[in-house]
Amino acid sequence: MKTFFGQLAYAGKKILFFSASVLLLSITVFYISRLAPGDPLVSYYGDRVEKMGPKERAWAEEKLGLNDPIIVQYIRWIENAIQGEFGISYKYKMDAAEIISMRIGNTLILGGVGFLFIFGLAMLIGILCAWYEDRLPDKIICGMGTVTSCIPEFWLSLVLILIFAVNLKWLPSSGAYAIGKADEIGSRVRHLILPMIVVVLGHLWYYAYMIRNKILEEVRADYVLLAKSKGLKKKSVMFRHCLRNVIPAYLSIMAISVPHILGGTYIVETVFSYPGIGTLTYESARYKDYNLLMLLSILSGIIVILGNMAAQIINERIDPRMKPDTAPITEVTGG
Amino acid sequence: MSAQFEMVGIRQMPKEVPFKKEKWYQGKPVLAIGILIFIIAGCLCCNLFITKDPAYLDLANCSVAPGREFFFGTDAMGRDIFSMIWYGGRISLLIGMAATLISTAIAIIFGSFSGCAPKWADMLLMRLTDIWLSVPDLLIIILIQAVLGKADQLSLSFVIGITSWTSIAKVVRTEVRRLRSSEYVIASKCMGGSFFHVLWRHLTPNFISSIMFMVVMNIRSAMIAEATLSFMGIGLPVGVISWGTMLSLAEQALLTNAWWIIVLPGMFLLVTLLCITSIGNYMRKKGDGRHSNL
Amino acid sequence: MSDEILLSVQHLSHSFPVTKRTAIKAVDDVSFTIHKGEIFGLVGESGCGKSTIARCIMNVYKTQEGRIFYKGIDVCDAKTFRRNKKMLHTTRQMIFQDSDSSLNQRMKVCDIIAEPMKIQHMTPKRGSFRAEAEFQMYYVGMDAEYLDKYPSELSGGQRQRVEIARALAMEPELLVADEPIASLDVSIQAQIVNLFKHLQKEHGFSFLFIAHDLAMVEFLCDRVGVMYQGKLVEIAPTEELFANPQHPYTKALLSAIPIPDPKKERARTMAAFREEDLLCGGELMQTAPGHFVLGRRKES
Repeated sequence: MKTFFGQLAYAGKKILFFSASVLLLSITVFYISRLAPGDPLVSYYGDRVEKMGPKERAWAEEKLGLNDPIIVQYIRWIENAIQGEFGISYKYKMDAAEIISMRIGNTLILGGVGFLFIFGLAMLIGILCAWYEDRLPDKIICGMGTVTSCIPEFWLSLVLILIFAVNLKWLPSSGAYAIGKADEIGSRVRHLILPMIVVVLGHLWYYAYMIRNKILEEVRADYVLLAKSKGLKKKSVMFRHCLRNVIPAYLSIMAISVPHILGGTYIVETVFSYPGIGTLTYESARYKDYNLLMLLSILSGIIVILGNMAAQIINERIDPRMKPDTAPITEVTGG
Repeated sequence: MSAQFEMVGIRQMPKEVPFKKEKWYQGKPVLAIGILIFIIAGCLCCNLFITKDPAYLDLANCSVAPGREFFFGTDAMGRDIFSMIWYGGRISLLIGMAATLISTAIAIIFGSFSGCAPKWADMLLMRLTDIWLSVPDLLIIILIQAVLGKADQLSLSFVIGITSWTSIAKVVRTEVRRLRSSEYVIASKCMGGSFFHVLWRHLTPNFISSIMFMVVMNIRSAMIAEATLSFMGIGLPVGVISWGTMLSLAEQALLTNAWWIIVLPGMFLLVTLLCITSIGNYMRKKGDGRHSNL
Repeated sequence: MSDEILLSVQHLSHSFPVTKRTAIKAVDDVSFTIHKGEIFGLVGESGCGKSTIARCIMNVYKTQEGRIFYKGIDVCDAKTFRRNKKMLHTTRQMIFQDSDSSLNQRMKVCDIIAEPMKIQHMTPKRGSFRAEAEFQMYYVGMDAEYLDKYPSELSGGQRQRVEIARALAMEPELLVADEPIASLDVSIQAQIVNLFKHLQKEHGFSFLFIAHDLAMVEFLCDRVGVMYQGKLVEIAPTEELFANPQHPYTKALLSAIPIPDPKKERARTMAAFREEDLLCGGELMQTAPGHFVLGRRKES
């Protein structure tokens, strides 16, 4: 595995797996989105569809290529996709990729900053709880954490809007920026505060608790007893030994959590009418905007697959046993 | 030589009576269980005490604040929120249970199958699970809802169940793979135990404790999913009363600053979820009795 | 002990894949027979294939090469195996080395002992399954109060007794014990071996006893087979083998037994053996009545 070719083969394997997954994903999404009943023409022509005669309908379907068998449609789609043509959005009458590129920045800001906040705070809270295990600070934090983890995200958003936007009028309740102030940073930040609080609170405790338990697991290991018997202070045992063993697991949790946090932002985006890809996904699925939907699903699918692969690679680095092809034989071989 | 060995019996150990017996309720989430039973009972027997017809649109009293006539106020369509909460809780709890039942059943079958299957089949199944996981849940839900047609309690339970089985299935699979090569399974096979005997008598009791916590938490996430989906307008229709659909009228409530429409049903949902969570946490902690070395 | 052959293993070979291309030959062309009512010992170092033989006999592993006949039935043949399934499952029983993992931690002792009877849908002779379990417990020297305990509440020796009780509950004709005493400490080993001897006298079952402790084998077994790297290098009646070992590996093995006398122990030397001598192969040859040694025929 140390040789250059070995690494090349390893990378090749990963890339092969990645592309196979994306291909399968696109087939799945393409197929089930076509299975669903409903009229994609509605999203293109709006209410005019109802006034169309059968001839016009057939012509419209012909134009959009909707009356071919699914396989033909799929092959056509993938041919175009390889050339970077993802088709136009029926609803927006624009290139699907272009619409997404306009919106994705907003989601990345919300999700990315939220991600950093979540994992920074989770680490702090986790260490704090583990330090004071089963004592008052731990108990208070655990209690509060359990409550926050139970609050449905959309309801928290509603309550926050009710308090801070409707009653106190401190913060805006929807959108990403005030009308006409798209470039003003202050306006953007003010619009970000409430969605950000929801995203962070919605996930924080789950990860903080996970880290707390991981540290507590470490604390129960025998090497801690050894370190203590050598006379090390609690602080240095915790930070030099326990934490070091927790960090790799923490990294892989971070990698896996990407899709979860992304899914969380989708809901928050819809409640706050925040113009990101979450609202876009929701709209395109409801209105059968096929081309847009395909691209969005594949995009989020890629993020998930990349996250999982990153976690896998981290795990393999930490623990060679996780590698499937170099795993030691566990079978009983006699004697 | 045999004279040297003597058949030695088992040494009798003096029995010790525990000094102080723990009370039955100690360490158990009594409060959570009590509140949960209260809420469930209230929802089931709501016909006995609710004051209004929950589905009646009293258009003369739209968005009335809580008061003597309407304990919790009325919503934007003039329905009595107090009655709706108890009545709608049935649907929310039902969906939580039904979705969990569906997802756990799928998870156990899928996980056991994958765990017992030969290596290549196991690999294939796990890869498929990964791909299933990488399709956004929202998309699957919207699509399956569309295929199933009009949304109702059953179809929503099915949709939620079908999107939330993977994590339990992975645990079941790992446990089955670990357990199936253990010697008591081999012993049972030597005695002529069939596959289902082994699965039922040996494997299930051993992995049930490790998934129990996840199953309880699944009820919670299924209820959250129901509320979220209904709120977004892709779950139950507004006509069906549940805690989720009650909250779907929140947009109008925000405009009129009618806090009770948002806060009260949400509080009920939150308290129920909290009770379920603390029961789940208790289940997780039960098995772990080790002490800190630090 | 009669002359009737109960179990006959013929040219058994079994290998495990290590990677896609290589494999370890755990058992290599092994043949032996066990008579009715006989205690047959199988000794050898760790990893020499003893457990694999036991598992092949019990049909845990699918036999790759060779034949195993039990009461004249070919158990490697799927068809005849299916036809005699019930008889095979009831009259052959196995005892494992690690009683910790061979008893389900979530079953009570009485359920564990009654499990084989329940699987085979037998009506308990003594009224109820519990009474049956109680009787078996008494038989292996344990109190009935342990019936409602879980395996984790018992000591290693007690768990081993439970395992034996489970195997005896079916009143087997062949008992295969895969290192039943290896994980116990010495005083408990003695108890269990005595128990085996006692039970075998009462029941008269045939017994394949796998061990690496030569003293125990000498004490318990009627005949002994010595294994080395998947091959059976010597079979002989116990007294004959200990008095007159032929194969170099057996000689080395016997010379490694400590003598409980410091002076003699210090004075003696271990028989050395060369690896090449052992791996030479060949075939089993009779050197004395019932005494077979693996080796090449001398050119004469």
